[in-house]
Amino acid sequence: MRRTVGAVFLLFAVAFSVVYSGRGLAAESSQSRATGGPRLVSVEPLEMCEAFPVAAQAPLRGELAQAGKTLERAPLRTIRDSFPTYSAVAVDVANNEIVLQDENLFQIMVYDRMANTPPTASLTEPKRVISGHETKVEFNCGLYIDPKTGDIYSVNNDTLDTLSVFSRNAKGNVHPDRTLHTPHGTYGIAVNEETQELFLTIQHENEVVVHRKTAQGEEKPVRVLQGNHVGLADPHGIGLDTKNQLMFVANYGNAHDKNAPGSGRFVPPSINVYPLKANGDTPPLRVISGPHTQLNWPAHVYVDQQHGEVFVANDGESSILVFRVTDNGDVAPTRVLKGAETQIKNPTGIFVDMVHDELVVANMGNHSATVYPRAAAGDTPPMRTIRSGPLGKAALQIGNPGSVAYDTKRDAIITPN
Amino acid sequence: MHAIRYNAVRDEFYVGNPFAQAVLTFRGAANGEEAPIRIIQGRKTTLDTPDTLEVDPVHEELFVPEDDRVVVFPVGANGDTAPLRVFRSPAKDGWKAAGGIAVDPIHNVVVLAGTVLGEKNKAGYSSPYGDNREALLIFDRTASGEVQPIRVIRGSRTGMHAVRQIEIQPKGGWIVISQMTAGELPEPEGTYIGVYSINDSGNVPPRWKIDGKPSTGMKKPHGIALDPNHKEVVVADMRLNAILTFYFPEIF
Repeated sequence: MRRTVGAVFLLFAVAFSVVYSGRGLAAESSQSRATGGPRLVSVEPLEMCEAFPVAAQAPLRGELAQAGKTLERAPLRTIRDSFPTYSAVAVDVANNEIVLQDENLFQIMVYDRMANTPPTASLTEPKRVISGHETKVEFNCGLYIDPKTGDIYSVNNDTLDTLSVFSRNAKGNVHPDRTLHTPHGTYGIAVNEETQELFLTIQHENEVVVHRKTAQGEEKPVRVLQGNHVGLADPHGIGLDTKNQLMFVANYGNAHDKNAPGSGRFVPPSINVYPLKANGDTPPLRVISGPHTQLNWPAHVYVDQQHGEVFVANDGESSILVFRVTDNGDVAPTRVLKGAETQIKNPTGIFVDMVHDELVVANMGNHSATVYPRAAAGDTPPMRTIRSGPLGKAALQIGNPGSVAYDTKRDAIITPN
Repeated sequence: MHAIRYNAVRDEFYVGNPFAQAVLTFRGAANGEEAPIRIIQGRKTTLDTPDTLEVDPVHEELFVPEDDRVVVFPVGANGDTAPLRVFRSPAKDGWKAAGGIAVDPIHNVVVLAGTVLGEKNKAGYSSPYGDNREALLIFDRTASGEVQPIRVIRGSRTGMHAVRQIEIQPKGGWIVISQMTAGELPEPEGTYIGVYSINDSGNVPPRWKIDGKPSTGMKKPHGIALDPNHKEVVVADMRLNAILTFYFPEIF
C-alpha cells in the first residue's frame, strides 16, 4: 500500500520530517493567522501512504496488517528509579520509630528513630515494610501516626482514592485494618485527637473534608470547608493548632471557582489560616503569602503548638520555612533551613518531634530523610540521615507519569509528573 | 497532568492545568522554573477541566477534550481567548470524551478515547470493567456543533477498558493507544499498548499489540508517544513510575 512520493509539495508538516523557518513571537501573537487553514511549512520528499477520505471504510483500504497480532517484545530501554523516594514522614515517638511514605515504589517503611546511614553504605534497611497489592497503597503522599496506638494512616493521592489504616506492627502485603473512600486528589492529613476528628485536603475540589477519626467505608464527612470565599487554591499540607483553635492549609496557587468554567487563575502560593471548626464557605482569618514568604510549592506543614510555629516543607525552593502561628500577609519566615550542607532536596514531608526536640524532613529529590535540631536554620547539616539509595544519587522523580511526549528536535523524552 | 505534546514546527510543548483551568505553552528547550510563553485562561476560553490536549501542527490548532465536548483554539492563542470552534455530544445517545485525544492532519480525523452513551449506541455491549473509556471515537477534524462520531471502535474483541493517552502515526493512519484496564486496581489484567487503523470500525481487535506482563516489563501503561526517528513507541507506566521504550517498526 505504501508508495514513494518524490518531490511532493506538502501543505502540511509532519512533526518528524519538517523543514521550518521559525517565526518571531510578534508574529505568533497575531491570532488571526491560526484559523485552522493549511499553510505551506515544508517542501521535501516524503514516503507516505495513500490518502483516503474521512468517511472511507476499512474495505477500501484492504488488509493493512495481520489483524490481532500480539507481539512478544521486551522494551529496548527502561527509565526507572529503583530506590524508594520519600514523600511524607511521621515519628512514632512512643515507639522510637520513623515512618516514611515511599511514593516511588508504593511502600510504607518503618525505621528505628536513631537510624543513621553511614556515607559508605548504599542504604539503611527498614525494620518493617508495608507493600503490595493488598495494602491499597499507591501514590501514597500523606501520613499520620496515632500517638497512642501507633496506627499508621496512609493517604493516596491518585487512582485508589483510599485512606488505609494499618496497625503499628503491620508488615508485608497485608490488608489495611480499615479503609475510608476518599475524594480523588486527597493529599494532606491531620488529626485533632481532642475531638477525634480527621482532616483531609482535596486538591481537585479545593476543599478540606473533616471525618470522624474512625470513619471507614463510604462514610460521609461531618464538615466540608469549600466555596468561593474559602480561597483554597490547590491545597496540599494541613496542620492543626488546637491550642489556638486554628487550621493551617498550604496552597500551590492553582485556583478556580466551583462550577465556573473560565474562572481559572494563578494566585501566589499561600498558607491560609482558618478557624479549626470552619465549615462551608468560610473565608480565611489570615493568609501568609507574598514574595517575602519564599513560598513555592508548599507541601506538607506541621504546627508546633508548644513554640507557636508553623513548619513548611517548601518543595519548590528545597527549603524548610518556619512562620509564627500569628503571622499574616507578606512576611519573611522566622527561620529558613536551606543550602547544600542541609542535604534538603525537594522536601515534601515534615514532622516536628517535640519529645526529642528534632525536625525530620522527607526529601523527594535524593532518596533521604534528614534529621535536624528543631530550631535549625541556615545551611545546617543534618544530625542523622536515613538514605534508601546511594549517597549523592539524585532521585529521578518520575511520579505518576500520566503522559509522555517525544521531542524530535532534541531527541528527548518529556514526561510530566 | 495527563497530557503533554511537543510541536516540532514551532519547537514548543503544551500542557493542560485543570486546577487553574489553563493551557500552557513552553519553549521546547524550557528548563527549570521557567514561565510559559503563552497561557490560555479566562472567561472567554470556557475551559473547565483542561487535563489533556492535542496539537495539530499542520493546521495550527490545539484540541482540548472536556467531558461531552472538544474545544479548539489557535495554537498561538494567548490570554482570555474564545475557542475557534467547539464540537459536542448530542444530548441524547451521545458520547463522552475521556481524555485521550489525537489528530491525524493528513486524513483529517480526530480520535477520542471515550464512552458511548445510550442504549442505542451501546448496542448490547458493556465492558466488564464498566463503560468508561472503552471506545475510540473518530470524528471529522473540522467537526463543529453537535456531532456523532464517523466511526466507533468498541466491543469485546478490542479489549479496551480505560484507554488513556493515544497518538496517531499519520503516515500509515495508525492509532496507537495505551490501555490500562482499570485505574483503581494496582496491577490490573489485560493492559496493553495497541494499534488500530483510522479506518477500523466496530468490534475489531488491535492490528498489533504488546501486552502488559512480566516479559514485556509493562504493568499499567498510561502515556504513549511515537519516536519515528528510531521507529519506537515510548510508554509511561504509572504503576512502575517508569518510561519504557519499545521498538515498533510495524507502524513506521
